[in-house]
Amino acid sequence: MPTVPILMPQLGESIAEATVIRIDITPGGVVEADQEVIEVETQKATMGVTTLCRGTVKEILAEEGKTYAVGSTLGFLEVTEDEAMRTGVETLEAAAESRSAEQPIASKGEENLHFAVDDDSYEELQPVVEPSVRGLPVPAGVKGAHYISPRMRARMDEMGLREADISAVVGTGAGGRVTVEDLEKFLDYISKWPSSHASPMRLAVADAMRRSWTRPLATVSRPVLLDRVLEHRRQQDPKPGLTLYVLRAFAKALAEDPASAGFLIGERIVHPRAFDIGVAVQVEDGVVVPVLRNVDTMTLAQLTDEYANMVDRARRRRLREDDTKGGIATVTNFGTFGLTHGTPIPLPNETLILGLAAGVKKPVWSAQVEAFVPATEAELIVTFDHRVVDGGGAGLLLGRIADLLQSPAGL
Amino acid sequence: MPDTAESIELLTDREHARKVYRAMLEARLLETKLSSLYKAGKIVGGVYLGKGQEAVSASLGSCLIPGTDVFAPLIRDQGGRTAFGEEVIDCARTYLGSAEGPMRGRDGNIHRGRPERGMLAMISHLGAAVSVVAGWLLARRLQGRLEGMVGATCIGDGATSTGAFHEGLNAAAVERLPLVVVVANNQFAYSTPNDRQFACEDLLDRAKGYGVRGYSVDGTDFLACLRVMREAVAEARRGGGPQMVVARLLRLTGHGEHDDASYVPESLKCGALGQDCMAVAAGQLVEEGYAEEAELAEWQEEIGEKVQAALAAAQRDPKPDPWREQWEAFSMPQTGDQNA
Amino acid sequence: MSITYVDAILEAQDHLLREDPRVFLYGQDISRFGGAFKATKGLAEAYPGRVLDSPISEDAMIGMAIGAALAGMRPVVEMQFADFSSIAFNQIVNHAGTHFYRTGMPVPITVRLPSGGTPGSGPFHSQSMEAIYSHYPGLVVVTPATVSDAYHMLLQSVALDDPVVYCEHKFLYRWLKASSIDREAPPLGQARITRPGKHATIVAYSAMVHEAVRAADRLKVESGWEIEVVDLRTVKPLDMDTVLASVARTGRLLALGEAFPWGGVTAEVVARVASEGFHLLDAPPKRFNSRDTPVPYHPNLWAAHRPTPETICLAMRELLAF
Repeated sequence: MPTVPILMPQLGESIAEATVIRIDITPGGVVEADQEVIEVETQKATMGVTTLCRGTVKEILAEEGKTYAVGSTLGFLEVTEDEAMRTGVETLEAAAESRSAEQPIASKGEENLHFAVDDDSYEELQPVVEPSVRGLPVPAGVKGAHYISPRMRARMDEMGLREADISAVVGTGAGGRVTVEDLEKFLDYISKWPSSHASPMRLAVADAMRRSWTRPLATVSRPVLLDRVLEHRRQQDPKPGLTLYVLRAFAKALAEDPASAGFLIGERIVHPRAFDIGVAVQVEDGVVVPVLRNVDTMTLAQLTDEYANMVDRARRRRLREDDTKGGIATVTNFGTFGLTHGTPIPLPNETLILGLAAGVKKPVWSAQVEAFVPATEAELIVTFDHRVVDGGGAGLLLGRIADLLQSPAGL
Repeated sequence: MPDTAESIELLTDREHARKVYRAMLEARLLETKLSSLYKAGKIVGGVYLGKGQEAVSASLGSCLIPGTDVFAPLIRDQGGRTAFGEEVIDCARTYLGSAEGPMRGRDGNIHRGRPERGMLAMISHLGAAVSVVAGWLLARRLQGRLEGMVGATCIGDGATSTGAFHEGLNAAAVERLPLVVVVANNQFAYSTPNDRQFACEDLLDRAKGYGVRGYSVDGTDFLACLRVMREAVAEARRGGGPQMVVARLLRLTGHGEHDDASYVPESLKCGALGQDCMAVAAGQLVEEGYAEEAELAEWQEEIGEKVQAALAAAQRDPKPDPWREQWEAFSMPQTGDQNA
Repeated sequence: MSITYVDAILEAQDHLLREDPRVFLYGQDISRFGGAFKATKGLAEAYPGRVLDSPISEDAMIGMAIGAALAGMRPVVEMQFADFSSIAFNQIVNHAGTHFYRTGMPVPITVRLPSGGTPGSGPFHSQSMEAIYSHYPGLVVVTPATVSDAYHMLLQSVALDDPVVYCEHKFLYRWLKASSIDREAPPLGQARITRPGKHATIVAYSAMVHEAVRAADRLKVESGWEIEVVDLRTVKPLDMDTVLASVARTGRLLALGEAFPWGGVTAEVVARVASEGFHLLDAPPKRFNSRDTPVPYHPNLWAAHRPTPETICLAMRELLAF
């Protein structure tokens, strides 16, 4: 037989709940339509809850003395199909059917959707407001060429331009700010020059460098003697690249004192999980940085094969996505291009990059023979995020690497 | 089938009384069911009954001509609405929040009307309809169609304290418009008794203040109501300017069904004002020989079924769908705020 | 030969009474007296029985108009001063404004509000009520700034099936003259570029359009700034297409109004530009209104209470310097 709920009525415009005072029915009892069956009390008045139609009391959920939210089900009646039809009452069965058929919005208790009150939800919702950013998140009142208005930003976004792209534009706006008009003029001027599309590789490098450049980067260097490394290398087969010696020394030095490889985010330093270090490989129209894993625990011999393999795959553009992920620092050997100095830029997700310049034959004083002797010397350079590392720390790091390179057999 | 002015005039007292009683009965049975649906949690907002005011309201409504006259009922005027020709289904749909009917879920309960048929949809601000009915009549005068028509509105004792009532009645009097204002003095405005509502001896004094003819009637006396309403409406229709009827009675229920009216003293309930106009009417019908007891019982049965059928139909109606709702307060969409 | 702003309103009502039998005028002292501002002068004689004096009952005046409109008429109600429409507030916002949505039957009334300040008119004869009425759904609110708009927008208001609050500026009544009335006008709901420019936009309406133009002229002469002035014409609906297109050209916005500063039309314009046109902005959008006190009586105080070309220039220089 169809079931019809007995509901707590609204009983006043501001009333959210009412207390059951007396229940005048028992399960199995017969009730008439419009019969007052439960007496309830609100802050405003006392009144009876009525039945919608004739039927038999199937179940009573309400208890005397307890308070129920408006719209709560207090019990159920069983009614005949005829009676439901005569009075137009919606039975639970019909409601369920129509819900499953359509009514995408009303989910539960559709009839009383707008009074549905979750008893406990109020207490749990103790709102706690916490700052989501520290400091002022917008450059309010800041004037000058570096301030980009929403309008300027929108135009730049439209053209795919970044702040770095407009560095050449002289601003004529308030406080020397670059205005949209300045930009348009500049672009108009530039359009008369020959131009071509930048390759995806070029754009990827540009993007990484631009992001990295948002940090205060500093570069220091010191000379390192390479004769012992070169001597050791001559005795190996296959011969490890010079880069690998530096890579190993770098990893060992970092493993001894990992602080300088930390990465600053907000107020936290993120420390290395492993000493995975990348190697910059020049490829056509760009640079890629495959990462060698656990360099601090690998032998030179082990690294030699893997390094060769990586470089080969990098040049053929066959690196897997994982191959370039997760590095904590990078080594770049631009000495191979004959360069004797440089200021490399670390990847945006790394604090350090170690550069090796070209070795140069120099007379070096030998205390042993008390004379100048020829030696191969190169600049060892580190660029670091000055928020994390200071000049002294960088100097100690370079010194330790230079020392380790004097004992190549231990690498 | 719309009545005509002539047919009202031509109705015998017997026919008129029977017609009004049937409207009263329909109102009472309908409102009793509405109360019950409210107390069973089927109606949201509120239910406001005219219990005890049916004789006053229905006798006014019965004197108005659907299709010609304009009527602005208030919250306790189911009797008048029914007598003026409102269909039960309009009331059922508006109370039960149907997507059909005159208000389509946009407004509820007694805030309903069919202005295109001359029945205005009240707003909650009391007294506001007095000037609106007057304006309708003014328009008919300007259109040269005022002859033989009236406008009527109902208010309670509380509404006579509003500025809108004074302004409206005064303006209607200045224009000498055929406006009938029926004040049901049911002793309480929500819970506020007469002695906290006004200080004049009789609300009828107010009519005099505006140069409006006043009538006093015992609102529980069915035959008296019929007589007075017929007279007042006829006087307005003849060009006698605004008429004001003050009916004395007692609201036999709370302000709304959420209110148990515990503030109404027993002495009032047991006194002359406390008698139920339905019972008085039934007695008078039989006494005057206008109807048989058995006939009254048949009407009860017949109208009860009609009411039940309308309420059942309204409950089966679709509910308003917020996704399909035309969220537009302007009738001319091109004036709508594109960016709102 | 020239025609003033108030003449245009008189002409429009004459035209309406002549052409449309549904139109009648209702208000205090408007019949044989011709209205407090003579906006209905001679109409009672020309159209007997259609220009009606009302009692001093603003609530009833609007109530009567609503009833008449429902019965097929097109009433035009003159509030003697916009300030007094506060008494009719309930009928305007709750009765007229809700009627179409509730019942499906629109209420074609036009309520004329003589608005804004003039020297010496004081706290209760100087108010600008457009924001209050715009806040409520269902009301069209127009604020003509020119002689031609005063004429055409009154005709358009009466032609509209929806209730219209027609805000006419008292200061413009006799001060503003034109050689003739334009043959045509843009539709209601469409703003106009009164003065083109490229460095900043002033969005104004009613009398403030003229103050904005004066300020713009001054900024041009003194500093070479070219300021665009947008006349909203209708404050509800708000023509954001024209406003946003202007801000797209200039990148800077000042919303200017004579009404009180808290909330209101200028706040709405700034809010919409900030949320819909943030990417168009070179500087934070700015508002400029009267001061947050009642409108003072003495001309010295009155002139300093509302925006003037001088103070608008100050606000503009701040905006332009950002």
